[in-house]
Amino acid sequence: MTARVGARPPRAVPRLQPRLRRRETGLLVLVGLIVVLGSVSLGVTKRQLAGQSLTWLPADGGQLAIYLGALLVAHLALVLAGRRSDQVLLPTIGLLGGISLLLMERLPQSLVTQSRAGRSFGRASIQLGWLLLAIGVIAITAIGVRSDAWLRRYKYTWAAAGIVLLLLTFLFGNETNGALLTITVGPFSGQPTELIKVVLVIFLAGYLSDFRPLLVSASMRLGPLRLPPVPYLLPMLAMWAMALGIVVIQRDLGAALLFFAVFLALVYIATNRASYVVLGLLLFVLGSVIAYQLFGTVRDRVDIWFNPFVDASGKGYQVVQSLYAFGRGGIIGTGLGAGLPLVAGRLPIPAIHTDFPFAALGEELGLIGVVAILGLYLVLIERGLRVAASAADDFRALLAAGLTLVVGVQAFIIAAGNLKLIPLTGVTLPFISYGGSSLLANGVVVGLLLALSDQGVEPPPPPRPKRGRRPAFLGGTPHGAR
Amino acid sequence: MNSRDGAPLGQGIARVGLILSLLFGLIAVGAGYWQVVRASELTRAPDNPLVIAAARDVVRGKILDRTGATLATNRKDANGEPYRVYTDRSLAPLIGYASPVYGTAGLERAYNAQLSGQGSPNSLDDLLSKLAPGAAQGDDLTLSLSLKLQEAAVKALGSDRGAVVMLDPRTGRVLAMASTPTFNANAIANPVTAVAAFNRTAAAAGQPFLDRATMGEYVPGSVFKIVTSVAALGSGAISASTTYPQQPAAEQTGLLISGFRVHDAHHDFTGSLALDYDQAIEVSCNIYFALTGLRTGGAALSDWAGRLGFGAPIPFDLPTAVSQVTNGGGSFGGGFKDDVELANAAYGQAETLVTPLQMALVAATVANNGVLMRPELVTSIGGPNGNQSIGPQALRTVMSSGVASTIGDAMGLAVESPWGRIFTTGAAVAGIPTAGKTGTAQLGGSAEPNSWFIGYAPANNPQVAIAVVVEQGGHGSARAAPIAGSLMTLWLKTLNP
Amino acid sequence: MDPYVVAIWIVRIAFLGGLYLFMFAVARLLLRDLRVATRDPGMALARLVVVGSDVSEPPRGTVFGLDAVATIGRDVNNSIVIEDDFASTEHAVLTFRGRAWYVEDLASTNGTFVNGQRVEGLSAVAYGDELQVGRVRFRFERARR
Repeated sequence: MTARVGARPPRAVPRLQPRLRRRETGLLVLVGLIVVLGSVSLGVTKRQLAGQSLTWLPADGGQLAIYLGALLVAHLALVLAGRRSDQVLLPTIGLLGGISLLLMERLPQSLVTQSRAGRSFGRASIQLGWLLLAIGVIAITAIGVRSDAWLRRYKYTWAAAGIVLLLLTFLFGNETNGALLTITVGPFSGQPTELIKVVLVIFLAGYLSDFRPLLVSASMRLGPLRLPPVPYLLPMLAMWAMALGIVVIQRDLGAALLFFAVFLALVYIATNRASYVVLGLLLFVLGSVIAYQLFGTVRDRVDIWFNPFVDASGKGYQVVQSLYAFGRGGIIGTGLGAGLPLVAGRLPIPAIHTDFPFAALGEELGLIGVVAILGLYLVLIERGLRVAASAADDFRALLAAGLTLVVGVQAFIIAAGNLKLIPLTGVTLPFISYGGSSLLANGVVVGLLLALSDQGVEPPPPPRPKRGRRPAFLGGTPHGAR
Repeated sequence: MNSRDGAPLGQGIARVGLILSLLFGLIAVGAGYWQVVRASELTRAPDNPLVIAAARDVVRGKILDRTGATLATNRKDANGEPYRVYTDRSLAPLIGYASPVYGTAGLERAYNAQLSGQGSPNSLDDLLSKLAPGAAQGDDLTLSLSLKLQEAAVKALGSDRGAVVMLDPRTGRVLAMASTPTFNANAIANPVTAVAAFNRTAAAAGQPFLDRATMGEYVPGSVFKIVTSVAALGSGAISASTTYPQQPAAEQTGLLISGFRVHDAHHDFTGSLALDYDQAIEVSCNIYFALTGLRTGGAALSDWAGRLGFGAPIPFDLPTAVSQVTNGGGSFGGGFKDDVELANAAYGQAETLVTPLQMALVAATVANNGVLMRPELVTSIGGPNGNQSIGPQALRTVMSSGVASTIGDAMGLAVESPWGRIFTTGAAVAGIPTAGKTGTAQLGGSAEPNSWFIGYAPANNPQVAIAVVVEQGGHGSARAAPIAGSLMTLWLKTLNP
Repeated sequence: MDPYVVAIWIVRIAFLGGLYLFMFAVARLLLRDLRVATRDPGMALARLVVVGSDVSEPPRGTVFGLDAVATIGRDVNNSIVIEDDFASTEHAVLTFRGRAWYVEDLASTNGTFVNGQRVEGLSAVAYGDELQVGRVRFRFERARR
C-alpha cells in the first residue's frame, strides 16, 4: 500500500500553501505567558534569597526570549509548510521544555559546565542549546517526513541498527551509577538507548503490521492460554532476551523495562489478545526473578525500593531524599527557587537534574504542580494515541502508538521511581531532564508524531461524473439533466 | 482504510490509553500520599536537609552521665558554627552522632528535638519559628549511664563483636550499654572529616553503626531456659520438684521427639539421676527443658515470653528490635510449627531470636521479684526552662514473687554450687552471692557458638542485672561469664559500693 | 505580613494557575475533537442558510442541516428543494469528503456559483462561502453544536 502522504497531490489544491494554525498559535501564546510568569517567580525568589533588591524581572530574560523565539519559529515553519498536523503537541512540548529550562536555571549553574571557545556555559545554557536543537528536530521531522515508505521498508535494517548501537554501548560504554549508559566519541557523548528506543518502535511497527494476520489467526493451546504456534512466538522471546540482555550487559533496568512494556503494549494493540500480555507478564516475572537472583544491582534496587529508610544514609539515600523533597513541597510547593535546601553547600540529591527532576518539581511546585505536569504528559499521550487511532493503516497506527508509548511509559517509570511506587531506575523524564540524547530522541519522536498526524493534503476529490449523469456514488440513475 | 484483514486497532489503542491514564493517576495518588499524608512526618525527619540546615546554628544540649561527667558537648569551627564533640568512643553506637552532613543517629536522633531546643515540634512553622537566629540553645540530657562502667564493658569485650547491657533491676535504669565494634563519632560530627569518616565507617567490617545491645538479634541458647522457666513455673506446668523419669536414660542417646534427637553434654556428672528443676538449671539440661517446653505448651510459652517483652518493640529511649520465640504462623500453638520446634525453642535454639536488652530485662525481672521495669536511659532533661526528671516506671508484674524466687534460687545455684561452678566459671562476684545462667548458642556449621551470660547480684538484694553476648565467643562460661563477673564486681565494689 | 512575600506568592500561584489554564484550554480542544469524532450520525455536519431568495420556497432565513451528501434541485427527492424555474431538477450536490466540502454542479442549465464564480464541475467550498443556485443565495456555515 502506498502511503497517502506520498501520493501525488491533486491539482485542485497547491502543495505549499500556508495554513493558519490558530489553535497552536493560541496555545503557544499561553505557553509564553506561563513560562514568563514562572521565570518572574524564579527571579524574584532568587533575588530575595540573595538579599538583593526586589525587581519584577524574569530570572534570565535573554535565555527565555531565545527559547520562546525558537518555539515561534517552529510554529511559523509549520504554518508555512501548510501541513494539517496536530496543533496541541508543539505547545505541550513547549511548556514541558519551558519548565525544564526554569528548573535548570534554578539549580546551581556550576555543577555542569562546558567550556567552548573561551566561554564557559552553565547548566541552563547547555540545556537551552539542546532544547533549541530538539525544537529544530521536531520541526524538521514534522515537515520533512512526507513518506513513511523508507521507515516501513527497511525494518530489519532498523532492527540491525538498534542492535549495533546496543553492542557499541556494551563495547565502548562508560559506566554511570553502575550502568553502562554513555558512549563518548571525540567531544561528544550520548546515551544510545535513547536512540535505540525510536529505532525499536519503527521496527516493531513494521514487523507487527506485516505479521498481524498470522499472529491473530493461528492458535495453539497451552493450558488456559491460546497462543500462536511456536515460530510466531519467537519475536516475543527474542524481545524478552534482548530486554534481559540490556539488564545483564548494561545493567540498565529502566531501558529494559521500557522496551519490554512498549513491546507488550504494541503486541496487544496489534493482536487484541490478552493471552500475549499474560505470557509476556509471566516472562517478565521470570526474568525479574532471574535478574534478582543473579545481579547485585537489581537486588540492591529492589531492596531499596522495599524500604529505603533502612539505609537512609547509604544505599537508600537518593530515594529517601527524593521523598523528603516531595514532603517539603506539600500541596502548593515552596515556589520555584525556594526549595531544595543545601546540605554542606551541596544539593541534597546529586542526580537531581537527570534522575530526580520530578522530585525537584514536586518540592517547588507542590502536589498541584505535579498533577499539572502529569496532565501535560497525559495530553501528549492522548494526542499520540488519537493520531494512532485515526491513522490510515496498521503500520502508521502502530508506529504512532509505539512512539507515544515510548514517551509515556518512560515518564511513568521515572516519576513512579521518584515516588517509590516502583524500584528506581535511571531513565530520564522526557523533555524535562537535563541531557542532549534524551531531548533529541524525544524530539524525533514528537516530530514523527506530528508528521503522522498530518491529515494529508486536501482529500482527493470525488470521482468526476460524466457530463449529464448523476455521480456514481449517488446510485448513478441515468436521469437526464436539464 | 484499515488493513486488509482483522478489526481496526482502535480498541486496543483505547485500552492501552486507559491503562496508561490509570497508571498516571496512580502516580498522582502516590504524590498525594507523600506530599500530604506523610508530609509533616517526612519534613521533621532528623536527616531531612531542611532540619539539618535549620539545626546548623543551634548549640545542641550536652549529654551527661550519672555523675555529671560530659559525654557529648560542642566546639565551634573557624566560621563560628558549632559542631559536636564526644568524650569516648565506647559510647558511639549508643549515642550515635549529630553531623552537619548526615543528620543524626542513635540517642542524638531519638532526642533530637530536645537536644536542639525544639521541645516537641508540632508543625514545621513551629519548628522554623523556634529556630530564628539567636534563640537557639538545646536542652541537656542526663543519663543513668556510668561512663566508667561503659568504658570497662567495651574494654572487656575487646576486639570481639558483642554487647553488654547492665541495668538496675529495681528501677530499670541502664548503667552500661555497650556494643562492639565502636566507631569514631567525633570524625563524623566534624564538618571537615564527616564525609570520609562516614564512608569509612559504613564500609567497615562488623557494622559499627549497628547498636547490638538494642538492635542485634541473637540465638539465645541456654539463657532462654530462664524464659521457659518463667512460663513453666508461672503457668503451673511444673514445680521446683518436677522430675522426668525418662530423662536419665535419654541422656545416653538423646531424647527422641518426632524423629529429632535432643542431646546433652552433662551425663558424665549426673549419671542416672533424674534431675529436678534446680539441678536442671545447674547443669543446663537440654532434655529437661525440652520436656518442660512440651509440657508447658507452645501457646503458654509464647504468652509468658510476651509478658517479658517478646513479640513487640521494648518501650525504651531508643528504637529496639523485636525479640521472638518463633517465626510465628505455625499451627502447633503459640505460632510454633510442630513439637520439634517447640522442644528446641524451650532451650533457646530453633527460631528463637533475642536482643541483649531483652535478656537483661529477663534477668532483671527475676531479680525484681517478678516485676518488669521500663528500661530507661535518660533520667532528666534540663534546660533554660528548668529540669524535667523521668522517674522509674513499672511496666507489669510478669510473675509472682514466689516463682521469681524459685528461678532466682536456681540461678544462684547455677553460679555458686559445685556443679554450677563447672558450667558457669568466673561469673561470681567474690564475696557477694551471685545468680546467673550461661548460654552457648549454636549457629550451625563449623562457626564457634555465641557466648551468653545473664544474671544479677547480689542474689539476696539485687542491685545490678546484666546480659552479655560475645559473638562466636565459644561456650558461655568461656567468654561471657567472666566478663559479667568482672563488670558486676567493678560496679558493686568500686563504682557504687 | 511583608507585602513583598505576599506578592511573590501571588506570582507563584499565578504560575501554577497558568499550568491549569493551559490544561483547560487543551481539554476544551480535545473535547471538541471528541465530539466531532463521536458525533451522532443524525446530526448535521454543516448548514446552509438562505440569505437571499426571490422565490417562495425556500424563504430568506431558512436553515438547512447538511449530511455528508446533500443534493439541491427542483425535484422533491432532493435534500434541499428549490421552487425556482431557474434551477434544474437535479442541480448540484454538496459532499463532505475527509475534512473538506465540495460542491459539484450536476450539469445544470443555469449553473451553480460559489462567491459569484461559476462552478466548473467540482469546487471546494469553505465555511462562509456564498452559494447561488437559481435565484436563491445561501451562506455555507459551520454546523452549530
